[in-house]
Amino acid sequence: MTPHQERTGPGAVPAQAAFLPAPEGTKKAVTDFLKTLMDQGGLDALLVPVEVPDTPFHAWVMVKKSEVLDKAHPLPPVMSVQGGRALSSLTKHGTPWLHIAAVMRPCEARAAVELAKLKQVRLDNVVLITIDCPGALPLAEYVADPEKGQERYKTVADTWHENEFLRPACARCHRFSLTGLEDGPSEGPAPDDAPASVDIHIGLLGEDQNGILLLPVTPSGAEILKKTGLEADRPTAGWESRVRDLLKKKKEKRQAAHEEFRKDITGLDRFLTVFDPCINCHNCMNVCPVCYCQQCYFDTQTQFCTSSVYMDRARKRGALRFPPDPLLFHLGRMSHMVLSCVSCGACEDACPVSIPVGKVFSWVADETQPAFGYSAGTDRGDPLPLQNFLKEEFCEIETPSACGQAQSTEVKENA
Amino acid sequence: MTQEFKPNLVGYLCNWCSYAGADLAGATKLEIKPTLSVVRVMCSSRVNSNLVLTALAWGADGVLIAGCHPGDCHYEQGNYYARRRFALLKKILESLDLEADRIQLSWISAAEGKRYADIVNDFAEKISRRGPSPLRNHSKI
Ligand code: SF4
Ligand code: SF4
Ligand code: SF4
Ligand code: FES
Repeated sequence: MTPHQERTGPGAVPAQAAFLPAPEGTKKAVTDFLKTLMDQGGLDALLVPVEVPDTPFHAWVMVKKSEVLDKAHPLPPVMSVQGGRALSSLTKHGTPWLHIAAVMRPCEARAAVELAKLKQVRLDNVVLITIDCPGALPLAEYVADPEKGQERYKTVADTWHENEFLRPACARCHRFSLTGLEDGPSEGPAPDDAPASVDIHIGLLGEDQNGILLLPVTPSGAEILKKTGLEADRPTAGWESRVRDLLKKKKEKRQAAHEEFRKDITGLDRFLTVFDPCINCHNCMNVCPVCYCQQCYFDTQTQFCTSSVYMDRARKRGALRFPPDPLLFHLGRMSHMVLSCVSCGACEDACPVSIPVGKVFSWVADETQPAFGYSAGTDRGDPLPLQNFLKEEFCEIETPSACGQAQSTEVKENA
Repeated sequence: MTQEFKPNLVGYLCNWCSYAGADLAGATKLEIKPTLSVVRVMCSSRVNSNLVLTALAWGADGVLIAGCHPGDCHYEQGNYYARRRFALLKKILESLDLEADRIQLSWISAAEGKRYADIVNDFAEKISRRGPSPLRNHSKI
């Protein structure tokens, strides 16, 4: 068992990237790149969102013919199925004979990395590609008026987070670019074994807006880019500084939002008030990429008791609501998965009664993950906190507190 | 109603250490406040957060998890994992300001009858001072 170390971050912002001109707009350039990948990158297929014919919606499609890629784009106006979940349904039982690339938003790739650690995704034959993400629109609003949504999304794609149309999760997202860039060290060359969670990143925020940057993040990413004949000869410094500027703003925004949340959601009464309208549909769980259990405890009958037990509880309390213990579902789910929460907002997009589930979960994620030196989806090599331990840690939570004691005398080395 | 408040506590005790410690405390007739309902579990790592949360939601004023000292777990590493899970649950409840001080993790060996009695009595006293859990009769629960 290796103890968790200070995370080193991705470190690996490659100094140079390939450049693809975009005379007809970045969307077209991205599509062209996907086609080149498909035709020359030595891949069997691509997993990417593709327009559903004659509708304003996109679905995850495994594409084998490059013509289909004309209708593909990793940045559809809304997040339908979270990409991590899509990749899980494809690779859960292994991908031994396929070499595919999955192209997705950063928060989706993070979920894929968490799922890989949970053995719900296989990444061994998958090239993970992310793209600078301008955010997505609230699902319900888009469904209610797709035309208006498409109009709005044009603004979203052009204004880089400076607009009022984004989903709440995107409005405070600080992980919209190359994964890990937001909390890793920035300077200096990356060591060869620098942990990274994605292979190739598509930069849209480069100084030259007439093209896109293709960043080879891992050696396998670099190899594939090489196969496509694209030369990585453009410096990435301009792109990086643009991303970092935006990051700084977004981090401040996130911080401010979180201070506000403290007032909105903490304390028993406020917490219960947030979940008052809950209709117990479990949508939030069903769409959450990192809630992967085949049989969730909260969907089983195990949690229910015989009516005499409820009668007894009702008698003692004077009243009891049904189904019982609404709080348990949310807190229980949280205690199982919040260290892997990637703040993607899929849960609140799916809530029929507009409970800000993602706000609550990402707040708790931000509060808890650092305590374990962890950041969900950032580093493939970082073990899941609950599947790992140090022999001496968290002394402050033990009663009596073991802090300051010479614990090592108590710790018996297990052979 | 000036009656003294008697807390309702739930204790998940590991079979191999803390439960035996409780046994020893009883056998040696140490004085223990009768406020703890004991649930015997095979290891502290058996205590899923749902067990703790369910006890709280059902009106327990406090929940104690007790297992073998680090390094002494019958299953070698169970209590290390238990400590991480407990740390997570504690931090969740702290971050949401939800009665985090009503849950406690302690290490008690089979030989520590006295430590068992002290820990249980201290916990009972602490929770008595703290008063009944607001979840007990909350109209929304
Ligand atoms: S949460 Fe971030 S990465 Fe995910 S869709 Fe929104 S802006 Fe993009
Ligand atoms: S809890 Fe919500 S925000 Fe967090 S990973 Fe799940 S769906 Fe995304
Ligand atoms: S989706 Fe909304 S209503 Fe449904 S269980 Fe989750 S919080 Fe409750
Ligand atoms: S057996 Fe006692 S804590 Fe694992």
